[in-house]
Amino acid sequence: MRLRAAVLVAMLGAVALLAVAGGAIAAQQPSLVIGLLLPGPKNDAGYNQSFYDAVQEVKANIPGVQLIVAEYVADAEAESTMETMIQQGAKMILPCGFNFQYPALAVAEKHSDVVFMHPGGWEVRGNFSNYYATTQLDMYLMGVAAGMMTKTNKLGFIVGMPQGYMLGDCNAFHLGARAVNPKVETHLVFTFSWGDTTKEAAAAQALLDQGCDVITQHLDSPIAVIQTVEAAGAYTIGFMSLDSQKYAPKGWITGLGLTWGAYLTQSAQAVIDGTWHTGFVRQGLAGGFTQIAPFGSAVPDRVKQFILALATGYKAGLIDTFIGPVKDQAGVVRIAAGEVWGNDKMGDFDWLVEGIVGTPQ
Amino acid sequence: MTWSLVLGIVSGTIMYGAPLLYATLGEVVGQRAGMVNLGLEGILLVGASVGLAASVVTGSPWAGIAAAGIAGCLFNLVYAFLVVSRKANQLASGLALMFLGTGLSAMIGKAYIGRGITGLARYQVPGISSLPGITRTMFSYDLLVYLAAPVAVVVWWLIFRTRWGLGLRAVGESPSAAFAAGRRVSWAEYQAAMFCGLMSGIAGAHLSVALARTWTEGMTGGRGFIAVALVIFSKWHPLRAIVGALVFGGAVTVGLQLQASGSTISPFVLNMIPYVLTLGILLIWGGARRLVAPAALGRVYFGEE
Repeated sequence: MRLRAAVLVAMLGAVALLAVAGGAIAAQQPSLVIGLLLPGPKNDAGYNQSFYDAVQEVKANIPGVQLIVAEYVADAEAESTMETMIQQGAKMILPCGFNFQYPALAVAEKHSDVVFMHPGGWEVRGNFSNYYATTQLDMYLMGVAAGMMTKTNKLGFIVGMPQGYMLGDCNAFHLGARAVNPKVETHLVFTFSWGDTTKEAAAAQALLDQGCDVITQHLDSPIAVIQTVEAAGAYTIGFMSLDSQKYAPKGWITGLGLTWGAYLTQSAQAVIDGTWHTGFVRQGLAGGFTQIAPFGSAVPDRVKQFILALATGYKAGLIDTFIGPVKDQAGVVRIAAGEVWGNDKMGDFDWLVEGIVGTPQ
Repeated sequence: MTWSLVLGIVSGTIMYGAPLLYATLGEVVGQRAGMVNLGLEGILLVGASVGLAASVVTGSPWAGIAAAGIAGCLFNLVYAFLVVSRKANQLASGLALMFLGTGLSAMIGKAYIGRGITGLARYQVPGISSLPGITRTMFSYDLLVYLAAPVAVVVWWLIFRTRWGLGLRAVGESPSAAFAAGRRVSWAEYQAAMFCGLMSGIAGAHLSVALARTWTEGMTGGRGFIAVALVIFSKWHPLRAIVGALVFGGAVTVGLQLQASGSTISPFVLNMIPYVLTLGILLIWGGARRLVAPAALGRVYFGEE
């Protein structure tokens, strides 16, 4: 009997809480409710944090915006999480996991009054748009910085899985480094995991052992790698969140941050105004989707100025990354002289540029 | 195979074998007392999260390691209570402990995601830097790596050269005979479980505090289960566990070092090495293990009526 009484009290309490919470929401009348789904933790100093920071910016920019944030969303739970968010009044859903694309599409087809914006996919519908940063171009600048800073002429690049976009990042990085330092080699290591941090640290350790002195990565969270590199006294190039600089007070060179705040603010305002329209959007430095992180104390002025000048050239559209002739590791010309590897083909890389040490498949 | 590659593999093998060895030694002691603990993964996770949390809070990585050891010890008392006092099935209790540890560690670690630490200081093996091909980062280990093999020798001594170890083995072989000889069976089992928890807690903290220097959910990546397999591989012997831990530490490192040094072997193939190795070992050892396993392993001792 005591147990039943306790259950009853708990249920009454829950109902009361819900009523209070519901009343509070109704009282505020949010201008827009945004639902954010993250595959990992919001403060991973990497991929997830770039989106979390962006929606916080939206909230700060537009009065009355309310956020519903779900962390650690598993692929199988994505659909039900989105439905719950919509039941709570979300009119803009940001499914920020690569694998959330099709679950989100299924939900989008049921709710034509809700806007969905998926990063990094390819599907586009009336209420379902796609956007991502052209990291495959901008990593060139990071390569230039690495090529100028290395003393051993060996750069390290750690990647979770061998996928086209990530091979593209590595290709761009190496092309940039080689442009300023013809002797440079980029050593590529795959960890085949998202989240085995000990293995990521071991990958960094292996690169350090083999003489690499500038290391960058394309992982969910860069913390283990950056700290391993920092403890060994080598240089770090960051990627994704601008927040990762704090882990490398000595060895930080610079980094490429994914900065969605302005774009998502603009999109959220458009949703409120009823002017939102779908699209397939790819932007880089010029569009504000990426940003060059502040330079570390180890970087000399001439390097800083050179990178910033190059960035200006990129923003003005004067420079491009994949301009032929570009050869692969076997010496075969993959981009013919005078041709440019277009933005639409960034996921198509299954080859690595000549001078990269590593096996793509 | 270049010389620097060989050095890199040997160096990494020792470093990443160390946490496996601590966990394996804990499980060896537990199984010597007749308890199979499949919950090792959960203890590692609790150790990893408590270790990092305590390091951040106190600012001392060694305080983190100590806290993780104590936490692992206390956490494994849950398992001991289930299988010793409540006479529950060992396999089910172990799996329950694993799931409990996964959830508990996520809760403990939540506030510490994204927190970096300096970690344990590393010291290069003295005199080795004069060898050709050695880079600054090779053979540079924290003290827990240096202590791993000596601890294995101490555990061997405890099990095979002390009265305590004799009692422990007697309980694992035949609890009723040990009881008849005047041993307190459940007290010996509790002690073994606490030692297992202590070692596994330290192993987990070694991953988070010394190697990765960060906490992420589920970061142990199945090392707890590898340690259980290593106990079989090492035939319940602490010194053979050193070999086993090195073999598995090496299996992960080899793939990464080969990639870093520009091997043309497909990384997909390299990534399979640890799993192929596990299968191979089970094939070779599978038949012989009954002869050396503690006779009462996995059995519930209901006491003397």
